Amino acid sequence: MTTTYHPLVKRLLDGELSLAELPPELRAEGEEALRLVAAVDRTPVTLSPALEQRVMAAVRRRAASPGNRAWRWLNTPRDVELRLRVRPWTVWAGALAAAAVLALLLGRHAPAPEPGFGTQARSAARDSVFVRFVLYAPGARRVAVAGTFNQWDRGAALLVPAGTSGVWTTTLALPVGQHQYAFVVDGARWVVDPAAPAVDDGFGRRNSVVAVTVQGAHL
Amino acid sequence: MGVLLGLEGEATDAEVVRAVLAGDVERYAVLVRRYRDRYARYASRMLGSRDVAEDAVQDALVRAFDRLADCREPDKFAGWLFLILRNRCFAEKRRRQRQERPLDSTDEMFAAPDRPDGEYEQVERAHALERALQHLTPEQREVFVLKHTEGLAYEEIAGITGATVASLKMRMHRAYDRLRDLMRAHL
Amino acid sequence: MRTIGLVFTLVLGSTLTGALSAQDVRAQLDRRVSPEVQRAVQVIAADAAAQGLPVDPLVQKAIEGAAKGVPGDRVIAAVRVLAGRLGQSMAAVREAGVAAPGGDVVEGGADALNAGLTGRQVSDLVRVSRPPHDPALTLRVAATLAALGVPSKQTLALLQGLISDGRSPSDLLGLPGQVQAGVARGATPAQAAAGLARAAGGAPPGRLPDWVPPGQRKPRNPHKP
Repeated sequence: MTTTYHPLVKRLLDGELSLAELPPELRAEGEEALRLVAAVDRTPVTLSPALEQRVMAAVRRRAASPGNRAWRWLNTPRDVELRLRVRPWTVWAGALAAAAVLALLLGRHAPAPEPGFGTQARSAARDSVFVRFVLYAPGARRVAVAGTFNQWDRGAALLVPAGTSGVWTTTLALPVGQHQYAFVVDGARWVVDPAAPAVDDGFGRRNSVVAVTVQGAHL
Repeated sequence: MGVLLGLEGEATDAEVVRAVLAGDVERYAVLVRRYRDRYARYASRMLGSRDVAEDAVQDALVRAFDRLADCREPDKFAGWLFLILRNRCFAEKRRRQRQERPLDSTDEMFAAPDRPDGEYEQVERAHALERALQHLTPEQREVFVLKHTEGLAYEEIAGITGATVASLKMRMHRAYDRLRDLMRAHL
Repeated sequence: MRTIGLVFTLVLGSTLTGALSAQDVRAQLDRRVSPEVQRAVQVIAADAAAQGLPVDPLVQKAIEGAAKGVPGDRVIAAVRVLAGRLGQSMAAVREAGVAAPGGDVVEGGADALNAGLTGRQVSDLVRVSRPPHDPALTLRVAATLAALGVPSKQTLALLQGLISDGRSPSDLLGLPGQVQAGVARGATPAQAAAGLARAAGGAPPGRLPDWVPPGQRKPRNPHKP
């Protein structure tokens, strides 16, 4: 039976102390302890795609038996306000296939901008890149984009409607680097960009990610 | 070339719950899709198996539908679902513990590889930790998983489990010692 | 509330890598977060700065939480978790032999850890990112791939493989978009990444060939009632 960890080492594991703050005689034990927690596998786990179908099949079975008392709520008229502003997610296959999540400065090698929703990434200043944000939000009254590039200010970068199609757009000069962002609809609803990778924001929600780089300069 | 194209398809949880309660049952798929993998890692670590975790998540999602009218704060659906899943995980663990055979040999299970190759060693250590986690009590395993796998703070774990921060730390510190013992060949 | 004050970590030879001064932190947080959050974050930031960790991500995280209307204690908790990750990242980057990591590498490592990579994997990625590769960029791409759902072991193998094949950093930057394209065509992120790894082997430098997903997987056992 090995000895137990020193209480200070346990605080190290809890994240309350750093390795440097341990007395020298505990450093080796601290490093061993850190190896233990470093072995934690934090790979996200993806379950089978069929899970959704199985759940919905069970849900539909329940909905199809109105006599069952357990689901009486399904058939009780309710005075519920349904805000059907949100449309089913329409995927624009062509655009998604071309979508990269990283916007690159296009210097001499810039291809001609595509019509419609093609990339509009052109040089703004030496260290920033113009990036165009687009959101399809019919029925929204106000759309903004907030992120690390504008201190999450909900009013700093408003999108404007592009015609009457329900599409909102804006172009921002983003400095080179990695940025997190989200759209803010009607001042209160935070919406991730479904076409971009999303990361945990630490508050139980998610942020979209974009990396902006100057090709040939920083690499 | 890069395109940033945002599409609005994301109603809030509260909106979807209300829609489902009003009769639009198909909308429940939005919540299923949204949360199917969110707690998958937690369930896998708690139950020691991705397959068992998948069953647990599936059951939890169906049970959440059954009890949807009891969800008093629809905008907190995520946390409510998590508690349903958590109960399911603990129940599953109790059921399995009653059926489990005693281990033959701890040493055999946690034996270190004879070739100290860097990467192999690291992979083995990760596997060993995963196996070792299954030998903690469910309460110890949960606090370890929530803190070190899911990255929650003690205060947040207290909010979820209803335990005090002090008792969580006590559980965790016992877990550290137990894990050290189980993993001694790998550290 | 952490009780650690400013500790001079001379043993680690910490360098304040362009870190914000205490006044900068206060100024940034002023009127953007509650006084309680401001106080707590200043302490966390000072501690982080003393360890040579970048402070700006902590400030940004606090501002983000306030902007999103998150309760103060959750904001503080999140900032603390982030500080912990930055510390873990620093350790992992140092483990790879980088004595005085720049802020962007440490941030990249923290992003990678947040996305589910292990400290060891972060170290490995830093090790293989010799010039012309920038470890910060490699880590950012790894974090993005993991955020897309590519398992971390595969993320590692894919990046290591491409780097050792002599691919350019631009090729790495294109990976997330190609994984997304594969997913849009019906593959899982893991399948899309595996396809890219296979397709890349032997292909000439330049744009990686797109990969087409195979047919449907076999259905699982039906749900037991």
